[in-house]
Amino acid sequence: MKIIYLMMGLACGVGGVTAEEQGHKEHEEEAIQLSPEVLKEFGIELATAAGGTLTMETVLPGEIQINQDRLAHVVPRYPGVVLEVKKNIGDPVKKGEVVAILEGNDSLTPYPLKAMVDGVVTDKHITLGESLQTDRSIYSIADLSDVWVNVTLYQKDLARVRKGQTVTVSGGEHLEPAQGVIDYVSPTLDERTRTGYARVVLPNPDGTWKPGMFITAEVQIGTEAAQVVIPLTALQTLEEGISVFVETDQGFKPRHVKLGHANRTQVEVLSGLKAGERYVSKGAFTLKAELDRGEMNSGHSH
Amino acid sequence: MSGIVHFALQRRLVIVVLTLIVIIAGYFSYRQLPVDAFPDVSPNLVQIFTTTEGLAPEEVEKYVTYPVEAAMAGLPGVEKVRSVSNFGLSVVNIYFKDGLDIYFCRQVVSERLAEAREQIPEGFGDPGMGPISTGMGLVLFYYLDDTTGTHSLEDLRSIQDWVIKFNLQTVPGVTEVLGIGGFEKQYQVDVDPANLQRYNLTLRDVIARIEANNLNVGAQFIEKNAEELIVRSVGLATGINDLNAIVVKTVDGRPVYLRDIATVKIGGAIRRGVQTRNGEGEVVSGMVIKLFGSNASTVIQRVEDKIEEINGMLPEGVNIVPYYQQKDIVESSVKTVLSALIQGIILVALVLLVFMGGFRPSIVVAASIPFSVMFAIIAMKQLGMSANLMSLGGLAIAIGMMVDGTIVMVENIDRTLRESDPSEPRIHVVRRASQEVLRPIAFAIAIIIVVFLPLFTLQGVEGKTFKPLAYTVALAMLGSLVFAVLQAPVFGHLLMRRPKGGKGGKEPLLIRGLTKLYLPVVKLFVRFRALAVGLAVLLMLIGALVFPKLGSEFTPKLREGTIVVRLTMAPSIALTESKRVTLIAERRLMKIPEVREVVTRIGRGEVGAHSDPVNSAEMYVLLKPKAEWREPGNQEAMENIIRDELGYLPGVLSNLTQPIEMTVAELLEGVRAELAIKLFGDDLDVLKQTADRIAAVVQDVPGAADVQVAQMGGVPQLLIQPDREAITRYGLNLSDVQEVIQAAVGGATSGAIFEGIRQYDIVVRYMPEARNNIAAIKEILVQAPNGMRVPLAQLASIEEIVGPRQITRENNQRFITIQCNVTDRDIGSFVEEAQAKIDAEIDLPVGYLTTWGGEYRLQQEANKRLAVVVPITLGIIALLLYTSFNSIMNTLLILLNIPLALVGGVIALWVSGQNMSVPASVGFIALFGIAVENGMVLVTYLNQLLRDGVPVDEASVKGATLRLRPVLMTAITTALGLIPLLLATGTGSEVQRPLATVVIGGLITSTILTLLVIPSLYKWFKIEDVKA
Repeated sequence: MKIIYLMMGLACGVGGVTAEEQGHKEHEEEAIQLSPEVLKEFGIELATAAGGTLTMETVLPGEIQINQDRLAHVVPRYPGVVLEVKKNIGDPVKKGEVVAILEGNDSLTPYPLKAMVDGVVTDKHITLGESLQTDRSIYSIADLSDVWVNVTLYQKDLARVRKGQTVTVSGGEHLEPAQGVIDYVSPTLDERTRTGYARVVLPNPDGTWKPGMFITAEVQIGTEAAQVVIPLTALQTLEEGISVFVETDQGFKPRHVKLGHANRTQVEVLSGLKAGERYVSKGAFTLKAELDRGEMNSGHSH
Repeated sequence: MSGIVHFALQRRLVIVVLTLIVIIAGYFSYRQLPVDAFPDVSPNLVQIFTTTEGLAPEEVEKYVTYPVEAAMAGLPGVEKVRSVSNFGLSVVNIYFKDGLDIYFCRQVVSERLAEAREQIPEGFGDPGMGPISTGMGLVLFYYLDDTTGTHSLEDLRSIQDWVIKFNLQTVPGVTEVLGIGGFEKQYQVDVDPANLQRYNLTLRDVIARIEANNLNVGAQFIEKNAEELIVRSVGLATGINDLNAIVVKTVDGRPVYLRDIATVKIGGAIRRGVQTRNGEGEVVSGMVIKLFGSNASTVIQRVEDKIEEINGMLPEGVNIVPYYQQKDIVESSVKTVLSALIQGIILVALVLLVFMGGFRPSIVVAASIPFSVMFAIIAMKQLGMSANLMSLGGLAIAIGMMVDGTIVMVENIDRTLRESDPSEPRIHVVRRASQEVLRPIAFAIAIIIVVFLPLFTLQGVEGKTFKPLAYTVALAMLGSLVFAVLQAPVFGHLLMRRPKGGKGGKEPLLIRGLTKLYLPVVKLFVRFRALAVGLAVLLMLIGALVFPKLGSEFTPKLREGTIVVRLTMAPSIALTESKRVTLIAERRLMKIPEVREVVTRIGRGEVGAHSDPVNSAEMYVLLKPKAEWREPGNQEAMENIIRDELGYLPGVLSNLTQPIEMTVAELLEGVRAELAIKLFGDDLDVLKQTADRIAAVVQDVPGAADVQVAQMGGVPQLLIQPDREAITRYGLNLSDVQEVIQAAVGGATSGAIFEGIRQYDIVVRYMPEARNNIAAIKEILVQAPNGMRVPLAQLASIEEIVGPRQITRENNQRFITIQCNVTDRDIGSFVEEAQAKIDAEIDLPVGYLTTWGGEYRLQQEANKRLAVVVPITLGIIALLLYTSFNSIMNTLLILLNIPLALVGGVIALWVSGQNMSVPASVGFIALFGIAVENGMVLVTYLNQLLRDGVPVDEASVKGATLRLRPVLMTAITTALGLIPLLLATGTGSEVQRPLATVVIGGLITSTILTLLVIPSLYKWFKIEDVKA
């Protein structure tokens, strides 16, 4: 009877499925084609792979210290009483200049105390009329025309930081960064902090770098000449690993690359991209997304 | 039964007053009826949202989702618990049985929620219930238009959160106002880690210092000259300057101020969503959510009034601009059905006038429409139903049927009056005439009501959509039954007169003409019964040929009148990138001349309505008035233009949808494929691998199409795994390290700044350069107890991995879905084969199990239900017929009408190019009833003639001729009542159209057959107990 039909009809009506478009999961070697307009609209930029030099850096904290090689103490030769104090902290002094006059306890005659180096008074422990012994430094005079930069080395950095590497020192607020060279690396670590240090002798003609300052040191731990150097923005992580999108005749194709040395902005490509090839240097995410587009409508997230 | 007529006729005044009362009460009920656009198909659910800033899906699941789910186990009435753990957000949906009171559900959830709170670790978020609303609750979206261009996004968001939101939330019927877009203002303390080292501080010190220097206290009171003075100390920081001046450390009497180590500034909070507009940039926006059960149209009206008021309070040049209002569809869909209703009434009245040939009987019949409608509306109000496309649609469908009972009644009174002896009192004639047809009328209407039974068994979305229609049809028919029985005789008596010509007055000209045409044909059919059989068989054959050609669809798509373009981007996309891509898409759309504005929501704003991740964008395309389109009013064409202009967006999936459709789909969270295999298990990797293997097996089963495994992964993570050995070597605790990571990279809230009642968080964090890249994170220094500082890289392994984008769970277990469609074969056998293959080839790990679901299951369930309900319905109809006629043969003859009616419906669908769908099925169901009704009217009279001793052939012809008028009238009124629905183009008309098509088509065939085949075949099916 027709009733059967009706029931079938109802069943179809109630259970009918709207066939939804469902993307397939194949993204083997499918090239993505994008018109120049779309590239421009989406801010996708291309570059030609080329060789270059990679400078690798590590950023470490550090401290400005007085150059201990250019520091002189003034110590009374004989115990005595201070007759005259000639210099104050910060005063510049010349080598041989008299900085104080004492009266010897034994001889009861005044004698001068002289600076042994050109420099600035950085420490002073002397008051008029004070009785001084011979075991204490009363003036520290430092030549600040250059200073030491002691860069803290953590265990992880020890292997990479060496004598002779260039260091850019920045002190933050309104200070022009300066460059110097590591000329000493501590052979031992501090037992308490488990850190070592590397030292840079930094010229300081204007006195900009004041001992005691905290600084940030960017140590160039090496330069590598590489066949192909690309910006980090070109890299995208795909299922098969880190890849770069290369322009081919068919369109853009992802290519798995092996990476070498890297710094904060650039990376060396060991294999997968040859010099002279055109690749996507910026906006590669759009291409990655396009590659995965077929998978986006499944496992929908809302 | 006939006593009722007597009873009514004796109390005519009471009946008249009663009628008036029903109509007036109906009117007032209508005014109070909640008005919605569509029936709310949202599931009965309570949502629990927990935001846990910065936590990855795995942690969210472990610390938040699981405790919440566990607490909800065993609640009464729960159907299932489903959860999604996203980055920083846990959403647990607790689905209750339909029909449970929402406040009861919320109460039991809330009791258990207290338990869950205790289980969630401190600082991992506080679970809260979503708004008391449904998928249809998002009634109004707006954005803030700043014409001056001088207000920052932080300012605008502050206006949204502290002025607009507060005011709108006071509107009765509004349950929530959620903001999105712009920046939530906060005071940011960006600490330079070098400075921490310089002054030997830790981030923890800084946070503690800020908290300790931002306080108001009360200290009771002192007495002074018999007065009480309240003592209070005010130390709350009021802005950047106060914060800057906080001393974080003192060395030898020299203070270190906060400004020395950090930059304090006003900035935006971390956000997971933005709102953009017209491809120009960001806007601040908000959405108004209406309270469950409140009247959408009145709430929206109140909200609009309030917006007007708020606009006056806002700074010069800032305005609230609504960009989506549910009012529009509510109004237009109600308008669609109301105008169909009114047109239907007019058409029916015209038919009555023509056929009855008199004004007075027409009035009696027409009066049954308002009565039945109002009767239904009062009942709707009492049952708590809302007026919407479907419920009002039911009334529109029923218009033509409502008058049927009264038509038969009045027609009989009219005829009897004409034929009666003038000396017989009119009231007696009316009573006699009424009593004659009372039984068939009651039975016919009862059958129409019974016929809608299968609709009441529909479940889920279809159930919620079509039940209101079934209810209103049934209610209106009940009303019409009451009217036919009580009012029709009374009004007939009050209004109808004997024809002036005395006994044997003439019928109207039209009827006489039709009768003249009809008589020879019916005579022919009665003489050559084979002709009738042939005609019936031919029609059935045509039907059988055409039926398989019909396409099938679920329910035709309701056009809401608002186009939303949904963009789905790569799951790992950053918000800044998705915003950039969205703006590109917006600019493309703005090139369409018809597009007025495009407003897009990306991701989610304040928690409560959406839990979309940042890779999802919903673009509301606001169009110019339909008349200004290049193809005025053609929405489909417009959609194509939008698709074309949007074109190809690399890396983006776009599809067109509609606001309500979208929200409801989100709540249903169903799989839109025929088959879904859910694999439950614990380990995400094992789930994925096993699912892939299952997919491979299923792929090989003949008939499998579009096999897909849901993607769970795809979101990169920077995984910092502390090295316990290294940590202990420095005398640190794991938490010391993790606290630093959390505060330095993620930020830590330390108190708030109050500006009046507005409260803004103070967030301490490393300055961006010191935390926004992997290298910098590796350099983060952790201070050990002995004062030394160790870089993070030395305490933990730091690597980039790809993690899950979200973790979905159902009934406390993780699961992954493998979905597929089946082509060219029966799903049942496919499932069996696939299951057997899976069992044979795949060894599920212990604790893993699969379940089969998807639309196929719904369909099977629906089929099973219908396989029971449809025969039962037919049985009831047969029983009713048998009770009425007391004859099996008569019953069979009338039932024969049904297939003949269905043929017409099938052909009509095919001719109009429509598909078999749920509304079409509803149309067929209605046809059942109408066809039976027609048959009954005729057969009753034939029986009567037979009993009066008229020979069967003569009785067949005479009866058919005499019943031509009522049969034609009931058929034509029903058909014409539906014509407006058939021709309507407004919102929602697409759902009613298949229904109207089927009924009108079916009516044509069934009427022809009633008039030709029944008289012809009557001889074979005549009542047994009368000898002709």
